[in-house]
Amino acid sequence: MNECVLPDPSGFFEIRFESIGGLGAHAAGQILARAAVLKMNLNGSHFSSYGSEKKGSPVRSYVRLGAADKPIRTSAPIDSPDVIVVFHGALLDQDITIAGMKNSGTLIFNGPADEAHEFLEKIPKGTRVVRIDATNIAIEELSRPNAVLLGTLTATVPFLDGDIVLSTLTEKFAKRNPQAAASNERAFKRGAEEYEVLEGVGKGEGDLPVIRPSPVLGYETAPIGGVIPYAGNTVSNDLSTSRTGWMPLFTAKECIHCGLCATVCPDFCLVWTHEQEGEEVPVVRLKGVDYQYCKGCMRCIETCPTEAMTRVTETPGLADRERVPLYSQGATGA
Amino acid sequence: MATEIHAVLQDQDGGNTAGVASQSTDFLSGNEAAARAARDIGFHVMGYFPITPSTEVAETLSKMQAAGEHEIMMIPADGEHGAAGICYGAALGGGRVLNATSSQGLLYALEQLPVQSSTRVPMVLNVATRAISGPLDIRCDHSDIYFALNTGWIILLAREPQAVYDMNLAAIRIGEHADVRLPVLVAYDGFFTSHQKRRVEVIEDKQALQEFLGTPETPFTALDPRHPVTFGPYMNDPDLINNKKQHSLAMEAARQVIPEVFEELEKLTGRRYPVMDSYHMEDAEVALVLLNSAAETAKEVADRLRGEGKKVGVLSLNMLRPFPTDLIRQALSGVKAIVVGDRADSYGADGGNLSLEVRAAIQVDPDNRTRVLTRIYGLGGKDFDDADAEEFFNEALETAETGEVKEVFAYHGTYAGDPDKHVPHGLPAIEKGEVTRGMATVTENPETGKLNVELKPLWAMAEVPSRIAPGHGACPGCGAFPVLHQVFSVLEGDVVVLFQTGCAMVVTTGYPKTAHRITYIHNLFQNGAATLSGLVEMYHELLRRGELPDSPDITFVMVTGDGGMDIGMGSALGAAHRNHHMMILEYDNQGYMNTGAQLSYSTPLGHRTSTSEVGSKRKGKVTHHKDTPQIFSAAHVPYVFTASEGYPEDLMRKAAKAQWYAKNEGMTYGKILSFCPLNWTTTDDAAESVLQVAIDSCFFPIYEVERGITNITYDPEVLGRRRKITEWLGRMGKTKHLMAEGNEQRLAAIEEEAERRWRRIKAMHEHPEL
Ligand SMILES: Cc1ncc(C[n+]2csc(CCOP(=O)(O)OP(=O)(O)O)c2C)c(N)n1
Ligand code: SF4
Ligand code: SF4
Ligand code: SF4
Ligand SMILES: [Mg+2]
Repeated sequence: MNECVLPDPSGFFEIRFESIGGLGAHAAGQILARAAVLKMNLNGSHFSSYGSEKKGSPVRSYVRLGAADKPIRTSAPIDSPDVIVVFHGALLDQDITIAGMKNSGTLIFNGPADEAHEFLEKIPKGTRVVRIDATNIAIEELSRPNAVLLGTLTATVPFLDGDIVLSTLTEKFAKRNPQAAASNERAFKRGAEEYEVLEGVGKGEGDLPVIRPSPVLGYETAPIGGVIPYAGNTVSNDLSTSRTGWMPLFTAKECIHCGLCATVCPDFCLVWTHEQEGEEVPVVRLKGVDYQYCKGCMRCIETCPTEAMTRVTETPGLADRERVPLYSQGATGA
Repeated sequence: MATEIHAVLQDQDGGNTAGVASQSTDFLSGNEAAARAARDIGFHVMGYFPITPSTEVAETLSKMQAAGEHEIMMIPADGEHGAAGICYGAALGGGRVLNATSSQGLLYALEQLPVQSSTRVPMVLNVATRAISGPLDIRCDHSDIYFALNTGWIILLAREPQAVYDMNLAAIRIGEHADVRLPVLVAYDGFFTSHQKRRVEVIEDKQALQEFLGTPETPFTALDPRHPVTFGPYMNDPDLINNKKQHSLAMEAARQVIPEVFEELEKLTGRRYPVMDSYHMEDAEVALVLLNSAAETAKEVADRLRGEGKKVGVLSLNMLRPFPTDLIRQALSGVKAIVVGDRADSYGADGGNLSLEVRAAIQVDPDNRTRVLTRIYGLGGKDFDDADAEEFFNEALETAETGEVKEVFAYHGTYAGDPDKHVPHGLPAIEKGEVTRGMATVTENPETGKLNVELKPLWAMAEVPSRIAPGHGACPGCGAFPVLHQVFSVLEGDVVVLFQTGCAMVVTTGYPKTAHRITYIHNLFQNGAATLSGLVEMYHELLRRGELPDSPDITFVMVTGDGGMDIGMGSALGAAHRNHHMMILEYDNQGYMNTGAQLSYSTPLGHRTSTSEVGSKRKGKVTHHKDTPQIFSAAHVPYVFTASEGYPEDLMRKAAKAQWYAKNEGMTYGKILSFCPLNWTTTDDAAESVLQVAIDSCFFPIYEVERGITNITYDPEVLGRRRKITEWLGRMGKTKHLMAEGNEQRLAAIEEEAERRWRRIKAMHEHPEL
């Protein structure tokens, strides 16, 4: 067993993965903690936040590491991590993602080179900011972003033994799927090599505060019995982060307005208008997609008999430019 | 699996003791630890029904079973009531029996628990504790196990994964002890312990473990015909009270037996469990009394406060039933003030059960001066962290100092609300006119009595406002929503829906948001149909009495998953036999998807689910899929249909007919094959192709049974589109293993059964009297 010594052996070293369901943050945390406990002679715990475990919904995964003889008693989530790993660029725009970031800590995020992130300014000055294009590496290596990000994490946090983490990752797949094991290994190694340390991005003073979101309603303001008298108020939700790199693009001139896509879209995000042409019967026409709700499943494309819906890579700002809103701003309360 | 063998083991407090049995270190969650213990014990039978957060016990055992690591007979019940029955029956046979559940599952089983304990039949039930409904909350509190306090079961507590493993071993010995003979419940905190992975030492020395466990011995068994016995006689006064006295004596005996077994466990493992866990209590002036994971958090804070010179301690229990009354009384005799944290309320009793019992324990001591404060905390999974523990300590310290109790009973960590904060108000109610546009026109042919449905083109329907708003949280590509959308496109007028528990319910109603634009009710899936039938009859009664303003014309629709038609079958058939005017729509995604894809009775043979895993020894589900439409057909309701989201027009026609029948004649039922990319393991956009072959292979026949007459509405054979079932199975990750060599027999069995059922439907189609 390798001896890995924590930067502060009397305390805990804490890591928080910020992700959405389907990107493998839970598995990554598990592999890391397993490697640490069984092969690095550390004590550790691992757990993830659970809501409904649907693909596309936010997931936080926590790894708490301590010296071998330090008991772990708390089961509370990690508020002020030493490292935050962000699996999806879009999450970077949310304060909660980087809440509790330490000035002495490290932030690793998944994103392509040269993508401006004004948001990073909020990060403490002293925080080391590391970028890695995990999505693209994962695609190229037929792996998943979690393998890449584990590689980056172990390369940038010296006491974590990369070889041990990699072998633990490989063990998980070796038996069931040797091909995946090889892909993951390549992805992991590229993650450990191709990262970039961004200098001078954080402008914040001191650690970022911990955020404890309080509910909107309390016992004096909530209708009794948990009743929700606000019909259809999920329209204020924004599900854009459910898309993982692609989106459907609508080309009006190719559309024959057959309505087939409406029967398959699980997210009701297609926008229709009612047009009356002269004396003719009214016709219903497809105007476009409200990307606030589109999860990028591509079922509309699969169903469309023409080329009106096509799959495109989602570049920054594209969805905003192409969006046709279903509801007025007031209705969504956004 | 870990291989490091530790000769020297750590006990609970971190000290080292020489262990007897060799052990290895692993990294396990509480649920995995329970499963590992089950494997090591080698139970004979497990009866279970999945429920978060305890499901992983069965899932882990299913994986191990597929890999040939154990031979426990695992029986997926039709619900927790059924699971409890299976376990009771199995235990009557004298072998070792296991179950795992949580929350509503424990409550649904509750009725069986006293039956089992009072007839003195041991088994082990793991409970990953979770809040109970209403408002359905999947996270931890103790409201479920508080209901178990009066069941007459032994209750052991496990505050971390290691303890879950150890308590399961101890449970066997305690329950089977000749002086006890009671079933044992092992309770650990949902998520905090059930899902948190920690270092766990597991026993490698199988022989030492078997010596510790011994062989199960039973004074009476239902499997010895040479010694016939009667279990469960009819018994009134004056006998029953004596039976209860025996039960009470067994609990008293357990007070002795439990510490003895814990001592033997220590010899086996090196880990020591006192029945009462006292931390810094020797000279404590104030203390917190807490159960399970919260007590561990409090210990950290106690260390810190001790460092500041404050005499604080933490009292917690490893044994909740029998309640260690004497030990608590002794431990608290010199303590000035305590805060008892209750992770569930006993509404109106001025304290949760733990507080009430602690207060009762100390009042026996005439000299006791301890002030007791009760705090209800951490409900529904609300975290209990250092700051919370510190606040409790401070309240106790203040009380100790002043000798005055400011507030005996209070909720901790609640939020009153801010009148300036608002929930988004959503969308206006849908006007009746907007959804009454004749998208489907149903007419009855006066001569033949047949219904004719005329549909508007799909593009015209695209504009009908959806009764479900966007913004719900289903997975990308989820089929349940196209199903609902297609049905709702043709339903005319006002609709009230009841959703049973499942994905569609959970993803549409995350408080304080709802995707439903029409009135929606959730009731748990064991009872949705009965609930809706009650509402239907109230509606008719109010109408009849002229008490419903504006006499709305409402259609009542119950939406359920296929799993809801397992656990809720009784309720649904009851409603069918009463023939209420309502529709039942089942979106069939072939599994319990909301809880992480366990097998349902609608899961076909050989399919992989998280409770029918694939490995060298097992290859997916071992029984065929349930034929729910034929069951409803046999209930002789006016209209039964099957459909798929892949054929919108066919589904829409049937939905329109179902509405007509529900209005005019009574109950209707429809089973709709519904795509689940996450758990069928396909791409998100594979719905069409996968569903198409499911139908063209005749695995899922598309037909209706109208007033008893069967009519196939899409016949792949007639259309020359029949395909092989393997074409369907090859398209999904969950069935890929069936394509590999060595599965020919299983494939043949699937084909044969599908073919047999298809032929039957065809015969019915051809012979109206069938
Ligand atoms: C009494 C009870 N037992 C178990 C559960 C856990 N549970 C919630 S939803 C669900 C599965 C539902 O399956 P299905 O009806 O097929 O709907 P799906 O999730 O597949 O959409 C289970 C097992 C519960 N809520 N209550
Ligand atoms: S399916 Fe294609 S052609 Fe038809 S309405 Fe939709 S986008 Fe237009
Ligand atoms: S990809 Fe198409 S079908 Fe899927 S959510 Fe977006 S618009 Fe709807
Ligand atoms: S798990 Fe399946 S049924 Fe549930 S929301 Fe996801 S896709 Fe839909
Ligand atoms: Mg289901």
